[in-house]
Amino acid sequence: MNKRLLIGFLLFAAPAWAQSESEWLLDHGTLNYHVSHPLHQVDGVSHAARGKGSCHSGQCDFLVAAPVRSFDSGDSNRDLHMLQVVRGGQFPMVSVRTHLSAEAAKSTEIHADLEIEFAGQTVQYKQVPFQLSIQGNEAKLTGTIPAKLTDFKIDPPSLLAIPVKNDIPVYVELTWKRHK
Amino acid sequence: MFAAASRATVLIKLESAKRGKSLPDLARARRAVVPVILALSLAFPSPARAQATLSALSGTVKGPSGTVVANANVAVKNVATGQTVETHSDSSGHYSVSGLAPGDYDVSVSAAGFATITTRVSLAASANATADVTLDHGLSLVDLGFSPAQTQGSAADQARLNKRSHMLMLHQRFGLIVTVPLIATLATSINAGGRHSSNTSRDLHVALGAATGDLYGISAYYAIRAPKIEGTPTRGPIKAHKILAWIHGPGMILTPILGAIAYDQKNNGEKVHGIAKAHGPVAIVTAAAYGAAILSVSFKF
Repeated sequence: MNKRLLIGFLLFAAPAWAQSESEWLLDHGTLNYHVSHPLHQVDGVSHAARGKGSCHSGQCDFLVAAPVRSFDSGDSNRDLHMLQVVRGGQFPMVSVRTHLSAEAAKSTEIHADLEIEFAGQTVQYKQVPFQLSIQGNEAKLTGTIPAKLTDFKIDPPSLLAIPVKNDIPVYVELTWKRHK
Repeated sequence: MFAAASRATVLIKLESAKRGKSLPDLARARRAVVPVILALSLAFPSPARAQATLSALSGTVKGPSGTVVANANVAVKNVATGQTVETHSDSSGHYSVSGLAPGDYDVSVSAAGFATITTRVSLAASANATADVTLDHGLSLVDLGFSPAQTQGSAADQARLNKRSHMLMLHQRFGLIVTVPLIATLATSINAGGRHSSNTSRDLHVALGAATGDLYGISAYYAIRAPKIEGTPTRGPIKAHKILAWIHGPGMILTPILGAIAYDQKNNGEKVHGIAKAHGPVAIVTAAAYGAAILSVSFKF
């Protein structure tokens, strides 16, 4: 029953996203990177992401960005070391761009082509799955970007001469609000 | 080319003069050599001639509103060879690349907050072509409310971070090395201060203590002198590490002072007395704080 209601609601709500001229602002966002090491697991979280979406003629461009130094792993010394490793002094922002058609809003799962600028590199990730839920003028997007350190030409830092894993999945939780 | 031929002629004259040849011989030699030089100069074009065919490309990078875009990355790629020359737009948005061979080029312009634009330009020989670029962005970091100060990094900032990491790595390594003479100093203290202590065991204790102090000083130097990164409040285990440094730091200064007094008293045949009696307890507290400081940051990257 709930599923039916949700589908019905989404079909109704989709046109809000799909409207020919609309603008979306990121209400609040969480970006969470995860680093794995045989002796240690680290999560760095940023709530400082800002984002904007602009839709024209059924095509939407989204940009989300956060200062690299806004990621907090609970240890400022480690965060500064990470900032150095990812060249955050020279490239202080991480940004994610995507282009979606309004049709995408008709599904609860969307596959987005992402263009990520980080550590002085621009890397594209194709067809990254995100869960989408729309409630009125609010859209919530969650998913995980399968990032790798080597994609951005970052040398994995080591602990006790053992480097961390190359995979640094970034969990994304973004809540958008329709601005106009 | 003619200058080269003239030089050749002069050389021929000199060589001929040395050998004592007659003037008709010289004329024949000149007639034989000049065509060879001409042919060689045609087969191997001089750098001056190659330069004459090279072209230049310049232009202005602007944003959608017409404002110039400074520090945009401009990559000029020769389509045929794949060779790429990179430059950046200056404060007035202007860029220029010279020394390009005639041909087709892909000019890619990118800047933070803008979509990368690539345009193809054909360069004729000896041309000064212009390719103005207007960057478009769906959205930019400025649209998100980030200030240029937040979005623009610098090599100097990165260098400061690199220096900090390097110095703290040395601090860490020397800090770990210190533990060896520190433990040995503690171990030898048993025979250094007791009733049946000898001069030899005391001297060994002093030598190990001195080594500990010196290495500790080096380690502390790298921690204290490592560049500070503004706007980064201390969080997590490093907080405890720094607090503990306020215990073992003064302890590492006080311990040898008290030890020196105790050493003199022992060498004078006296029992250790007065303030020197604190040497042992201070050393133990210092060593404990030092060990705890190491443990507090042991589990990190």
